[in-house]
Amino acid sequence: MKHDFSELKLDRVTRRFAGAGGKAFNALDELSLIVKRGEFICLLGPSGCGKSTALNCIAGLMQLSGGSIWLDEQRIDTLPPEKRGFGMVFQNYALFPHMSVAKNIGFGLRMRGVPSSEASPRVAHALKLVQLTGQEHKLPGQLSGGQQQRVAIARAIVIEPPLILMDEPLSNLDAKLRIETRAEIRRIHRELDRATIYVTHDQDEALSLADRIVVMKDGVVQQIGTPAEVYSQPANLHVARFMGYRNVLELDVAGEQGDRIALRGPDIGMSGVRKQPLKGKRAAVAIRPEEIAVGQGPGGVNTITGRVDNVEYSGRDSLLDVVTSSGTMLHVRGPVTTALNDVVHVYVPVERVLVYPLD
Amino acid sequence: MAVGATTRPQFDSTLLLVVPAAAFMVLLFIYPFVYGLVLSFEPKEGGALANYKFFFTTDNEWPTIWTTLKLALPATLINVGFALPIAYKMRVKSPYQRWVTTILVVPITLGTVLIAEGMLTYFGPKGWLSQFLQFFHLYDGPIRLTHNYWGVLISLVISGFPFAFLLILSYITGIDPVLARAASTLGAGPKSQFRHIYLPLLAPGLAMCFCLSFVQAFSVFPSAILLGSPAGPTRVISIAAYEAAFEQYDYSLASAIAMIMGFVQLVIVAAVLGLRNMFYRGPVTGGKG
Repeated sequence: MKHDFSELKLDRVTRRFAGAGGKAFNALDELSLIVKRGEFICLLGPSGCGKSTALNCIAGLMQLSGGSIWLDEQRIDTLPPEKRGFGMVFQNYALFPHMSVAKNIGFGLRMRGVPSSEASPRVAHALKLVQLTGQEHKLPGQLSGGQQQRVAIARAIVIEPPLILMDEPLSNLDAKLRIETRAEIRRIHRELDRATIYVTHDQDEALSLADRIVVMKDGVVQQIGTPAEVYSQPANLHVARFMGYRNVLELDVAGEQGDRIALRGPDIGMSGVRKQPLKGKRAAVAIRPEEIAVGQGPGGVNTITGRVDNVEYSGRDSLLDVVTSSGTMLHVRGPVTTALNDVVHVYVPVERVLVYPLD
Repeated sequence: MAVGATTRPQFDSTLLLVVPAAAFMVLLFIYPFVYGLVLSFEPKEGGALANYKFFFTTDNEWPTIWTTLKLALPATLINVGFALPIAYKMRVKSPYQRWVTTILVVPITLGTVLIAEGMLTYFGPKGWLSQFLQFFHLYDGPIRLTHNYWGVLISLVISGFPFAFLLILSYITGIDPVLARAASTLGAGPKSQFRHIYLPLLAPGLAMCFCLSFVQAFSVFPSAILLGSPAGPTRVISIAAYEAAFEQYDYSLASAIAMIMGFVQLVIVAAVLGLRNMFYRGPVTGGKG
């Protein structure tokens, strides 16, 4: 077990499961990724996409069906979890219910044979890091969910692991605590200067935490990129949908000029930017509600007219459902003064209309 | 959860459903117990404590406590001691789990008498075991495993083990396996996971299992007669009570012996449950949920 490293390499890591009727399926299909020291990686995807499987494979809690995992020059996928020495934070925290907070946090040190004279200051430091000083003698059952969560984090980091693995650690917390703990996780990550791999299905969490996001679906990596890349330039329609491109319209391709694509629907004409090679005469456009403005575009480009069918007030603005005469619906963020049944023009800049082949 | 726990509870008429069971308990357990207790203080002759005095001063009566303990304690330790590692191995779902569990549990469906019959055939001086050992010259001396202490002990293990195994298995499978996985990521190998996670969380359950197994073994009767030597080394306390009741027709003395038997069980059970309080007792999962 080593504390220092420069990179973790996943090489075509695959995990097969026996599915229904004895047919094997790949829960994780050839995941290749290099994690540098200091990086914060988020594995993002809907449930069942293989992100937790990937994490368990890295932790050693699941055997690989194919591929290999390397910590610098050392191959580690053949080692049991206790020999890998990665810190892991579980979704339901997995605190030992019969041990005090201090014993829970000190468990990893005890297993490493660290003498208690050296372990106690380290436990105290970890407690301070997660702001739980004074709670050390309580049992986990006496703590709130948020405190339990922080004990779980302290327990994982006190062993100073090269890699910290987190499996949806915030999913059991309420919204306010989630945002607070999120910031704390980021701070602890910076302070430790190790690497973190974080599994989540919440794109806001991934965007705010990660240096790089790995978007997954059905065991297959869809896109690896910085939060800005994944947010504004989704690699495919699936990633776009997942990243909040709530408007996906199927339109006819009317013309192509380089990456510029002209598209036409029954009562919509718009231009967009191609993100993937198209197949056939039809294509899908993905548009984020926030990027549609109420009003006319310059020269009437990409302007759509429709009736407001639903208004959801959300404070600074309202979420509008705008329906065109042929029944196409667009989700739009518009001024709070918009009323139901108003007829409005909405407009999207050409570069924010992303064009993908149909899936 | 407890909605309205602070309001004064209304009378719940479904509570009346308890009445038959309560009546059953009073009629078939509490009444006979109190009757026996009172009867034990009304000896055929002598003062109120004459029966107890007789038991503790007569040379073939009081040693039956030790005789029974010498059978019940080892049998219980063996049952719990072997059931624990096997149940631990069986805790994860595997194709063998069902088969092994089934095979281990079959003896629970056999009566003590049937087990005794089988053992006489199998372990007797001319039984299959000794024929097998002698045929292959594995052991040429005489093998006496029936009509003595060992016969009774083996039968207590055969009939008591499945019970202990099932009980411990249910305790073990109730422990969230993610705790062991968490321990493994913190550097605990399989042995440490058992020692630091499973064992402390199981301790209260093991104590309970020990108590139930012990009480069962302590009241050994049919096998002590069929497989032991009821006149000597396996003259257990229940035999003493039986003889008093149905050979000497002294129900009062028999009641006194039964009370002593219950008291010894109570002492052991109380001691073990007292030890149990030293361990963590509570939910055995690792977080919210």
